[in-house]
Amino acid sequence: MSVNPSEDIVRAVCTDKWDGQRLSPSLFVGENTSVSRLAILPLSDHWDMFRQFVEKPPERRLELIAEINVGRLQELGRTHNPSIALTVEPKAEAWNPAHAEIPQRITRGLASRILPVLKRHHPPAHR
Amino acid sequence: MTALMPPPPSSGYALVNDLREPAAVANIHRTAPDEWAREELLLAKLGARGWGRVHHFRNYYGSGWGEHAGSMLSPRALSAFFRFVDAFEFPSGVIPSVFLTDRGGIELCWEEESRKSVQVEFTRTDAEFYREATGEEGALAHGALPQLVLRLSA
Repeated sequence: MSVNPSEDIVRAVCTDKWDGQRLSPSLFVGENTSVSRLAILPLSDHWDMFRQFVEKPPERRLELIAEINVGRLQELGRTHNPSIALTVEPKAEAWNPAHAEIPQRITRGLASRILPVLKRHHPPAHR
Repeated sequence: MTALMPPPPSSGYALVNDLREPAAVANIHRTAPDEWAREELLLAKLGARGWGRVHHFRNYYGSGWGEHAGSMLSPRALSAFFRFVDAFEFPSGVIPSVFLTDRGGIELCWEEESRKSVQVEFTRTDAEFYREATGEEGALAHGALPQLVLRLSA
């Protein structure tokens, strides 16, 4: 069953997708985009989990966590031209029980509409 | 107290004539100037940050990087990227951002004078682009980079 539109999802943003000024559109371009559900795992727990699994090589750092509401994401898909019905499908993995995927192909044009809407969370100060 | 240094030895190594390259051949084999020119190009058009990021992507992101086993930066993608950056004139005062994509492509993003965004990803096989101002989105083969330059300059 697809993730409810009321849920919020997050995506890890590492050095390769953030240069301190702009976010990479490729963060959302393509099919089977990986996300993680805040309803399953709170944001505070995502920092350590993401760091453990995404910081490979060590020079690749977790810079931000980007958040969006599923309903908002779907609205962007619906109002895009051409319109696309986006869904978020739960796909728990051993390293992340909150893992989910957006199976539909997101175009560059749609990704460029998603990026400005993302809520950016910066690493906790104690990092 | 001073000590006299021994006189410098006569030439320790002498390259035999058979191993010497004729000047013309040496110019063909020497790749350093190209690499040097590329570094200068990146610094001039992408600034120190962009230059550093390309260096970072080339040297630290081996095959299997990240949580989704990303591909290492494709040499073909990088070559197309350099050709584009060399030929394209970015808007005055705009420093583009450069990103590494999971499939081993390299992506450039900037804003036009109208503040609308432009994206180009150079992959192993082509260049994918999107121009917000016109809504154009597509992919062109590396051989069509001159057309892409014209298209995004118009």
